[in-house]
Amino acid sequence: MATNESDLVQGTLDVLILKALALQELHGMGISRRIGQMTNGAFDVKPGSLFPALHRMEEAGWLTSNWGQAETNRRAKFYALTKTGRKQLRTETERWARISFAMGAALGIGQEAL
Amino acid sequence: MISRVRALWKNAFRRKQLDRDLDEELEAYMKLVEAEKLQEGMAPEEAYAYARRQTGGTDHVVQNVRDVRTGAWIERFVQDVRYGIRSLANNPTFSLVAVGTLALGIGANTAMFSLLDQVVLRLLPVRDPKQLVIVKEAGNHYGNSYGPNTMSWPMFEDLRDNNNVFSAMFCRFPTHVTIGYSDQTVQISAELVSSTYFQTLGVEAVLGRTISHDDDSIPDSAPVVVLSYSFWQSYFNGDRNMIGRTIALNGQAMTVIGVAQPGFDGVEMGEPAKIFVPIMMKTEMTPHSDGLKDRRRRLSWVTTYGRLRPGMNTEQAQASLQPLLHSILEMEVQQPEFIRSATAADREPFLRNRIELLPGSDNDLREYMSRPLWVLLALTAAVLLLACANLANLLLARATTREKEFAVRLAIGAGRARIVRQLLVESLLLSGSGAVVGLMLAYAADRILLRIYLPADAASEFAVSPIPDGRMLAFTLGAMLLTSLVFGLLPAMRASRTEITLALKDRSGAASTGGMSLRRLLVSIQMALSLLLLVGAGLFVRTLRNLEDVGPGFPTDHLLTFTTAPTLSGYSFADTKSYYDRLKVDLEAMPGVTSIAFSTMPVLRGYAWQNAIVGKDFEGTPIEQQPVLSQVDPNYFATLGIPVIAGRAFSAQDVAPTDYAVVNESFAREYFPGRNPLGQRFGLVSDSESVPPKTEVIGVIPDRKYRDLKETPPPQAYFPYLAVSNVRGMTVYVRTQGDPRQFEDALRERMHRFDPHVPAVDLQTVNEQIGFSLRTERLVASLSAVFGCFAMVLAVIGLYGVMAYTVLRRTREIGIRIALGALRSNVIAMIMCDVLLLIGSGLAAGVTLALVLVNLIRSQLYGLNARDPLTFISSAIILALAAGFAGFIPAVRASGVDPTIALRQE
Repeated sequence: MATNESDLVQGTLDVLILKALALQELHGMGISRRIGQMTNGAFDVKPGSLFPALHRMEEAGWLTSNWGQAETNRRAKFYALTKTGRKQLRTETERWARISFAMGAALGIGQEAL
Repeated sequence: MISRVRALWKNAFRRKQLDRDLDEELEAYMKLVEAEKLQEGMAPEEAYAYARRQTGGTDHVVQNVRDVRTGAWIERFVQDVRYGIRSLANNPTFSLVAVGTLALGIGANTAMFSLLDQVVLRLLPVRDPKQLVIVKEAGNHYGNSYGPNTMSWPMFEDLRDNNNVFSAMFCRFPTHVTIGYSDQTVQISAELVSSTYFQTLGVEAVLGRTISHDDDSIPDSAPVVVLSYSFWQSYFNGDRNMIGRTIALNGQAMTVIGVAQPGFDGVEMGEPAKIFVPIMMKTEMTPHSDGLKDRRRRLSWVTTYGRLRPGMNTEQAQASLQPLLHSILEMEVQQPEFIRSATAADREPFLRNRIELLPGSDNDLREYMSRPLWVLLALTAAVLLLACANLANLLLARATTREKEFAVRLAIGAGRARIVRQLLVESLLLSGSGAVVGLMLAYAADRILLRIYLPADAASEFAVSPIPDGRMLAFTLGAMLLTSLVFGLLPAMRASRTEITLALKDRSGAASTGGMSLRRLLVSIQMALSLLLLVGAGLFVRTLRNLEDVGPGFPTDHLLTFTTAPTLSGYSFADTKSYYDRLKVDLEAMPGVTSIAFSTMPVLRGYAWQNAIVGKDFEGTPIEQQPVLSQVDPNYFATLGIPVIAGRAFSAQDVAPTDYAVVNESFAREYFPGRNPLGQRFGLVSDSESVPPKTEVIGVIPDRKYRDLKETPPPQAYFPYLAVSNVRGMTVYVRTQGDPRQFEDALRERMHRFDPHVPAVDLQTVNEQIGFSLRTERLVASLSAVFGCFAMVLAVIGLYGVMAYTVLRRTREIGIRIALGALRSNVIAMIMCDVLLLIGSGLAAGVTLALVLVNLIRSQLYGLNARDPLTFISSAIILALAAGFAGFIPAVRASGVDPTIALRQE
């Protein structure tokens, strides 16, 4: 089931993008696809949300971008994590761990599932 | 943070590049999606369409990205401003009318605010002005007084040395002295100050030093002077070598010891002090009256200031000073010479005198100007409100014609908030341009107002200036923002509610009923406000008329006046007498001069010499009711044209100091009710010779105005001036044949030839002097009349606009009526009914409002009731006629509707 991105919990998209870029630099399409894979297809991020988020995060200094060659030999803009971006990913991951632990406890979802 | 700043920089200056990048990026994204789908085996067209769909429209994405960019709001604002300018430029007539209206409204408010701020609101330019208070002895004044907030020097010393509420105290006395330069002698205003003056105020010397304690211990021992900065600049060209130099004040050599800091012109607004002299030099500076150490006559002349100790409030200080004052008064009444005739019953009310502390920035000018300036500011605010109503109305009308534009923008996805914002930006542009033009108008207006309003000699170097300062700019900015909200918000909200479907259907006119009731309401409000302003204008204009009609109580047409003070130019008292005798002969010999008179007090200049009187057979308590006194020469009544209605005027033989008096009818009524005043006796409490009462009333004159035209004439008494031992400055009255203005130059020249060291000060005709004394009334009357007319024009335009639009909207209906046989006159009557309804509701609201609000200006009126029916009715009629005429034009146009054309429109 594809979830509309507008349903995303505030801040989810940012951390997903950071995570998607943790291993390698990717272009917009790649990020979108990677998020799909990471979440088993639960999140289908459309350009209308993706690009504003990318530009915002770049301005915040978490990402850098460079023009490069995509797989089909097309020019595409690749995004990579900066140092601050990595730090942000760690902070966000810890935050999410705390939140999901707390939410899980509250909703009675098995601890072992986490 | 740094990355944000970098982003802002990039967004601001490389926007095009960024947008191109973004387009390319999106294009690449779609190509990738397309390629992916092609690989999955999708048909090319299908893959292409899928990619487009996936992106959801590049424009939309681009917009979203732009919105998250740092500083995006600036970009949007710039966009809105550009769009706004274009949209306003498309309709130049509207824009010009709007900016003009706003400029007048904002400009008038800024001008009034600037005056009010500088004259009334601003505190003294000294350290912690809020801690400064004027110490006033309130109650029965039992002696000789130079003004309402004064006390004697000994009392100041007692308070200064024994109080525990002030960290410091000082006192001062404003006076005039002559200063000679390049063979001309001029009078300047000076302040006699105690040594604590500068230290207490926290005013420093920019050059040299201020007055020290050593300058202030022994009378006549400190011939030193501190110059005010502006005087030093204007008079001595800022010469730094002035320190240590000697200047001649009243013929006395005085050493310049310092220049006070810039911006400080003494503590009295409207009478900027040019020099400061130790109060110990009083004998030299005010040769006509000594009395520095005088306690016996309770000669009260110094204004006393105190700086409250930190944490001390006015009430505590007053309570704490009260016992101190009481003990001083107890001591004063015990003095053997105090008032020999006074009984215990006379002394008792005197001992009840209290200390009152007034804000240190209080003074006569402030008090006198504050009410009229507030009234004028209120009137201009009403005008601005009315202008806003008018603009709101215009904008509502404009919004109606722009409905389609808004609908299109809404349809292509602009949010309603965006439209509101856009319209508010347009309002802001209008009010911003209005404010800029208004500031220029305010500068010009203030320059003119200052010239009319302030004492002539003060106008040039008065602390009030028309040049905009921070506070004035802040006020203008506030007024601008507020007005743009007031007139912009309603139309903007209304416009954002445009129904897309209805508006796009292109049924011109028929759909746009929106805003009509609102616009009618606005017109009623305008009517009400302009009635209010017209009533105010009517009341003020009639007040001015009444004051001009009532006059001072004597014929003024052929009178010139000026003052001279030979004692300020080194004349001894003995010489002064002969000076005036010779001057009289010399001036009477001038061709065209019929007679000359002298008086110690000028009339109608707001000055008064008051003294409590005593007597045996008085009714009531004469000590509380102080008569106004002056010393005049035998020719005085004849020269001024005041008839002596009983007894006689003075003769040259009446030379004993206060043996004889001529009194006015009020005096006679007040002190000798039911008796023949001639031959009655009274005495001045300050005059130790006057016990038992020795002054005999020898003549009675009719009441006439003394301090100003508004007053009820006070009890007045006149003594023969030749009898007075210390002849001070005199006001000279010259009755001429023909136009007195033709004699001004000749008289000035003759005075100069007579003695170049004794200048003729304030030479003018009595009519000019009266005109000047009415300047506040004239200012209020003329400005309120201008505002009233402006308001009426705005209201009438507003009504016209609404009616014209109503008729346009009902064209079809009117066409049908005419087609069905309605007469033209029926149509006119129908529309006029509507017009009258609007006018009537506005006038009713206006009259109600005015009836309540006129109470606030009651004290400003003279000779008429605040609810004067004539003013109310005539204002209402004028406004109704003007508005009715404005409504009649659309009515006539309606009656001319051609039914066939009107019906074909549909």
